[in-house]
This record gives sequence, C-alpha cells and structure tokens, in this order.
Amino acid sequence: MLDAFSRTVVSADAKTAPVGGSELASLREYVQDGNKRLDAVNAITSNAYCIVSDAVTGMICENTGLIQAGGNCYPTRRMAACLRDGEIVLRYISYALLAGDASVLDDRCLNGLKETYIALGVPTQSAGRAVSIMKSAATALIGQTNTPANGGAKYRKMETTQGDCSALVAEAGSYFDRVIGAIS
Amino acid sequence: MKSVVTTVVTAADAAGRFPSQNDLEAVQGNIQRAAARLEAAEKLAAGLDNVTREAGDACFNKYAYLKQPGEAGDSQVKVDKCYRDLGHYMRLINYCLIVGGTGPLDEWGIAGAREVYRTLGLPTNAYIEALTYTRDRACAPRDMSPQALNEFKSYLDYAINALS
Repeated sequence: MLDAFSRTVVSADAKTAPVGGSELASLREYVQDGNKRLDAVNAITSNAYCIVSDAVTGMICENTGLIQAGGNCYPTRRMAACLRDGEIVLRYISYALLAGDASVLDDRCLNGLKETYIALGVPTQSAGRAVSIMKSAATALIGQTNTPANGGAKYRKMETTQGDCSALVAEAGSYFDRVIGAIS
Repeated sequence: MKSVVTTVVTAADAAGRFPSQNDLEAVQGNIQRAAARLEAAEKLAAGLDNVTREAGDACFNKYAYLKQPGEAGDSQVKVDKCYRDLGHYMRLINYCLIVGGTGPLDEWGIAGAREVYRTLGLPTNAYIEALTYTRDRACAPRDMSPQALNEFKSYLDYAINALS
C-alpha cells in the first residue's frame, strides 16, 4: 500500500534518483491542503450510512425488478449483502482519499471484484449505478454543493471553513470512477 | 511502504471501520511536521553528490588501511562502489524524509544488509564512520533550518544504529 509520498519515492527509486525539485511541488500541495483533505474524509465517514443507503435504495427505485422475486436484491438477505458491499467500497474510497493514492483501493478492493461479481451473478451495471449515486452524494458533501432541494429530508451541510476544494472533489470523484471502471 | 498514513489505514482496514477522528488526528500531526521534512529532503537532494563525496573521503581518511592490497578498497572500482553505496544511503534517507517514516531505509537499505556485508567482507564501521561524519558535519542554518536538520539527523542516526 502506498500514499502520495511513498508513491513519489517508489517511482524515484526506479530511476535511482533522489526526490527533489519539481516532484516536491505536488507533495507540498498535499501538505498545504492537508486540513481540507481531512475534512473531505470526515465528510464521507460521517455520512457513510446515509450515502450508502441512499445509493442502494436509489438504484432499486430506478430498477424495481431488483426487489421482485428473482431479483438480485430479493430477499432482504441479498439486499443486506448489497448494502454491505456499498459500505465496503465507500470505506476503501475513504482510505484512498486519505492517502492521496488509489493503490489501497486497487489492491484491497477492486482486484478481482468484477470476476467475483460475475461469478456470483451480481449485475455489475446496477452496482456501477449505486457507486455513481454514492459519487454524487459524496462529492456534494465534500464540495458543499448539496442543496435542500436535492438532499430532501436528509439534507446536511458540513460545517467547515469555506474555500476552494475543487481539486479534492475531483480527486474523490476519480476514485468513484475508478470503481465504476473496474466493475463495468 | 510503512508511513503514518499507511499504518493508520492498515489498522482501520483490519478493524473494518472508516477512518476515525483518531486516525485523522494522527495524519494531521504528520502533516504538521511535513514542511521541515520536505525542506531537508530538498536540500539533501540538491547536495547529494557533495555530501556523498565528503562522507566517503572522511571514511577513507580515518580507515586508510582500506586502500591497501587485499582490503575492501584496494582498487578504484571498489572505492567507487563504496561511494556509490553511500550515495544509496543518502538517497534512502532522502526518501525517508519524503515519506516521514523509516520505511524506505528498512525495506531497501537495512533488510539483508548485514548478511550482504558479511558475505562480501565489508566493514560496517567504515559506513558508520561516513554517516557519523555527515551527521556531525551538517549544521544549521548553513545547510538547512534547525527543524529540518533535526529530521535529517534522526534518519542518519537510525541508519547508524542499524549498521552498528
């Protein structure tokens, strides 16, 4: 498992060169935006239950066949497995966001996930849809772009210092896209 | 690669939980000290060749017998390899300063070093002398800020302790 810092080190070691100059710039950015990153991770972890349950129910609302007999979220035992998987995926995304590197997500979550889902008969398109709903919710919470109209009864705004966090929103979004890409 | 973040994530993953407030605080502490580390890494990278040369010279000055026939540095090729190894140690210390932990030194420098040096008949005290010279030669604020120097020296000490 790597983080933003050890990723730089591993690629420098491949060239047997010390890390200096331009490579340090991106690391200084990580350090500078450190508090924003921790707030972003906190935005995901504090709302994990809401993000996951909304994504899974949203996926089912769009495709009600899932909870009819023979559907993949029928009976509750299988829907529970679905909720559990949603939480696992979100957890690894939160790790990746904390580390600033996707290696933990790749190694421990995505490696072999598609094959497992195919073997178990899980519809990867539906799974991908749930992840993309999680992406919308998580990026809205991180970037504080969620509105009462979109959030409804579960509307919540994280109380953090206002500032530009577009880079972090994009980074978090890229991890969700990575999951969707890996299973579709 | 062991670092504060990977340690925190490994522990959280083993427990199957999201990163907790404790985890975020631990990472925050690491970030707060990062400026000094990155400064030390930058200065070391810029002067890596000079630092290596001075450390090697100090070592061969103290242990002049190393250049006698049959010893570890009896040909220019072997002497060059000594300097190359010291350069590797400095580079790994640069990596440690970047990562904020001893992971790079542990995994790429120290693991197996004792066995290799014994097989090749290399004296570890020569390496210790070179690294000690670098540690005592470095000074603030000429080379880097005091806090950065402190970080740099702690990794030099770590390497010295591992070799002795």
